[in-house]
Amino acid sequence: MLRVIQNILLFFVLVLIQVLVLNNIQFLGFVNPYIYILFILSLPARTPRWFVLVLGFVLGLSIDTFSNTLGMHTAATVLIAYARSFIIKLFTSIDEGNNPIPSFHSFGVGAYVKYALVMVILHHSALFFLESFSFSNFWLVFFKIILSSAITMLIILGLKSFNRR
Amino acid sequence: MRNLINFLIQYSVLILFLILEVVSIGLIVNNQEYQKSVFLSSSNSAVASMYEVSNSVVEFFKLKAANETLSEENTRLKNEVMRLRNQASAFKPEKKDSIRFHIPPEMEYNFISAKVINSSTNKLQNYITLNKGLRDGIKVDMGVISDLGVVGIVKTVSDKFAVVIPILNDKIKVNCKFTKSNYSGPLQWTGVDYRYASLNDIARHVTFSVGDSLVTSGFTNTFPEGIPVGRIENFKINEGDAYYNIKVKLAVDFRTLSHVKVINYKNYREQRYLEQVATEK
Repeated sequence: MLRVIQNILLFFVLVLIQVLVLNNIQFLGFVNPYIYILFILSLPARTPRWFVLVLGFVLGLSIDTFSNTLGMHTAATVLIAYARSFIIKLFTSIDEGNNPIPSFHSFGVGAYVKYALVMVILHHSALFFLESFSFSNFWLVFFKIILSSAITMLIILGLKSFNRR
Repeated sequence: MRNLINFLIQYSVLILFLILEVVSIGLIVNNQEYQKSVFLSSSNSAVASMYEVSNSVVEFFKLKAANETLSEENTRLKNEVMRLRNQASAFKPEKKDSIRFHIPPEMEYNFISAKVINSSTNKLQNYITLNKGLRDGIKVDMGVISDLGVVGIVKTVSDKFAVVIPILNDKIKVNCKFTKSNYSGPLQWTGVDYRYASLNDIARHVTFSVGDSLVTSGFTNTFPEGIPVGRIENFKINEGDAYYNIKVKLAVDFRTLSHVKVINYKNYREQRYLEQVATEK
């Protein structure tokens, strides 16, 4: 029960931080970190997959509503919500009956960094390509993806190393 | 039948995933018709009022710059008033005009001032939200300017708020011309830097130089003629090209934008109607 309340709080805090603070950060003119996906990253490893999808949809839609980009964040977030369980399986081996929250402690530092990196890059790629909706300025978009992913990763890893559990 | 049900159960998550993705892609595509999505955007009043609160904090830090531009504009306007007053006294009519039922040309335009409560400069399609809407007289397609120059065009309006497409959006082009030669062409954002845009369709034979200023052409009924847009930063032309590649430094700094004016062109509907009738026949 405590976990549920914690997650609901995390949802609102992340959405507010994203739209009120981070959307105003424009490093180098166009680089923008998107840390709200930390919510999807931090759901317990064995959350039912359909439920993760629904949560991803709601999360993306709330961010879209605030940033006038209807559908873009939703599509990208649903994509990583779907890919999540595969990526967890790929990098970790969790015992039956265990349902840990992904963190440095439960996954191991290496596995968690890999898991977060793949999720972040997947999300940012989908998001930026949906935004430009073409491959015509591929290198600009590519550059954006790399820089934004790096900054998002830094923030996520920083936050995670604070509450090491 | 049982096979079908088994199949559905086995792939239920995949199917849900596909449905949600289709819904969100559908949202992106439908978003082109922006009016439909007023509900799910920042002109929705709940979202906008939250931005208004957050902006009231941020605005405090922009006060100094805003004050400076305001006082500059004030002095300029005062000078203008003095000059016009002198001129007017020289041309005083001997008797009064007969009844005026039309709007005199010098009063065709008036301005509705508004405050920017949300904006972005780092996407390919940026939008700006204003704190005035229908009840303040703002309508779709009105032009928006700041003290420095052209900002954009009103795209959606709700009762209390309006969303503007600024020049920093690859969906709009603003027609502008050289103050020196009157030659005009469309200005479009390149999506990279919020300070620069590119001017297209300027043919080889036109002569201009770095630093020349660009103003609105007045060919559309959104902006009156002569509002500053920017200055030529640099240009190049390849051997085989018919048109110049021109980089323009925009007059408005979109990062520090806080107060804008919406242009209300009183003869808009009449002109629009006349033009539509003309093209239909």
